[in-house]
Amino acid sequence: MSGRSNVATLLLLQLQPIEVDTNSPDREGMLVTANGLLVAVLVRLAEPEHDDVGSWFFEVGFGRLQGKKAPTFPSLEEATRWLRRHLKAA
Amino acid sequence: MQQALMRKLESFEPLSDQARWALNRLVLKVRYVGARQDLIQEGDKPENVLLILDGFAYRYKVLPDGQRQIMALLVPGDFCDLNVFILDEMDHAIGTISACQVVDIPRQAIDEIARDHADIARAFWWCSLVDGAVLREWLVNIGGRLPPQRIAHLICELLMRLEAVGCVTDNGYAFPLTQTQIADMMGLSDVHVNRTLRDLRAQGLIHLKRRVLTILDVERLRAFCDFTPNYLHLRSTRWDDRRDLSWPGQAEES
Repeated sequence: MSGRSNVATLLLLQLQPIEVDTNSPDREGMLVTANGLLVAVLVRLAEPEHDDVGSWFFEVGFGRLQGKKAPTFPSLEEATRWLRRHLKAA
Repeated sequence: MQQALMRKLESFEPLSDQARWALNRLVLKVRYVGARQDLIQEGDKPENVLLILDGFAYRYKVLPDGQRQIMALLVPGDFCDLNVFILDEMDHAIGTISACQVVDIPRQAIDEIARDHADIARAFWWCSLVDGAVLREWLVNIGGRLPPQRIAHLICELLMRLEAVGCVTDNGYAFPLTQTQIADMMGLSDVHVNRTLRDLRAQGLIHLKRRVLTILDVERLRAFCDFTPNYLHLRSTRWDDRRDLSWPGQAEES
């Protein structure tokens, strides 16, 4: 039984590059899947007027990430760490 | 700026000389408050009625996770709840956005002036009713309009409200709001606010520089967000017997 619960907590996050139409120069994006399900789209901020150009923005979330507000992330690693934490939180 | 209250009330209806004199006596002690200060906090017992004479303030609430929601903007001439002293405690906070001139009016003075002057009592009721109408429109705005129209609607509303108290020059007005404040007001992220303002600028609708927002094409911005000023219930006396709703820039044409 303990093996089964370990399997249940495994969370495989995968990133896949995608171009996103945000009606702005922010186009470079990443589809984020968790165990094969799309859970979020991250977009890199490119518009020079953003406070944190180059950071990753949590553009939209699905499932338990839907409607969440997130800070912008300086790296994809920090973004996935945040996503993982919020996906695990029930 | 001392005249902000008078101008606001007179955008409802003309006041008698006695009423004007009595109102001037309400606005005796002006307090200067810096930007980003709380005027009153959630849970506080409201003692006086606060009146903003200059600057911008806002009503807000903070959720347990730290998320702030801004429910109203207070501009010159606005009371922070005329009859708030009837309530035991504040159910939300009021803070300044920019440096403000604030008047603390004792509840007794409000009671007396409303008792002695029927026109002022009516104008006070109008203020409270319009505050409710603006809140309803904000609900519609957040729940029903897309982000670009939502922000454009706020910009149109501020034009009308600030115009009524003489704070608009050439369709431009002081705009001290940060992107984060607009985001917390409109239920959007800072990034979406930034993109939307950029888009409104790119469309030639607004110009924003050194915290002054200028509407470059009032009619087009109004059409863009289907702005209908009926909920502000402004009946400006500056256009004499016009009792219908007026829109800056159109007044001279008709």
